[in-house]
Amino acid sequence: MANYSVSNLGAATPAQANLTTSYNTLIETHAVTTPRRLAWYEFEFGIDANPGNTDCSISWDISRTTGAGTAGSAATPNPLDPADGAAATVAGINHPNGTPPTYTASSNLWSLGVNQRASYRWIARDDKSALWVPATSNAGLGIRAKQASGAYASTAVATVYFQEQ
Amino acid sequence: MRNANGYGVIIGPGGVVEEIDTFTCCHCNGIVHVHAGMKPDELGSWCTLCGQMHCAKLTCRTCFPFEKRMERAEAVYRAKKS
Repeated sequence: MANYSVSNLGAATPAQANLTTSYNTLIETHAVTTPRRLAWYEFEFGIDANPGNTDCSISWDISRTTGAGTAGSAATPNPLDPADGAAATVAGINHPNGTPPTYTASSNLWSLGVNQRASYRWIARDDKSALWVPATSNAGLGIRAKQASGAYASTAVATVYFQEQ
Repeated sequence: MRNANGYGVIIGPGGVVEEIDTFTCCHCNGIVHVHAGMKPDELGSWCTLCGQMHCAKLTCRTCFPFEKRMERAEAVYRAKKS
């Protein structure tokens, strides 16, 4: 069991997309050829630009995906232990608006509206409490955000830590 | 919450920190925030078969452990692949 991290800044030139009034995917993880069970056991996010002048909230969501969509960049998951090999899981980051992963309807595992100036972190106590993905091709999880009023229309950063089994 | 399954923290404007215990639904794998003073029926319930908490979604009131859901999905995938 190896642990990995992936961030939407984890590419040579991460082309972050601005948040809009519809969901914008920051990170999506899935496996294709040799799927293994994977579990998100920690994630964190926040904005990384000047807040909008009008106070507003940003809606964040984690849902299940069945297709990768067209990512802005591919990100190689970073093994937390350098002795571990490369992940079987593929990560896509910064999906441009309009090319999101295929989200399963009503599959959100977690969603939260927080102030634009807030950041959030979640940690599972153990592997039983993590967010699991079955070892099937293209099954995955994605974290996405939107800003309903348009008052904040800039970029955000998210990092996900996951374990492969 | 005793024996919380997870921990969430919101670092809000002005450095206000809100810490939240969470549990993960044993049926749908969703995360539920447990705020102090919440009514138990807002959270969900205890599944006596799984021995874990499940969330308040209607579909989660019937016991279908998430582990079994994953095994079923993987069995279908293997059958289609072979």
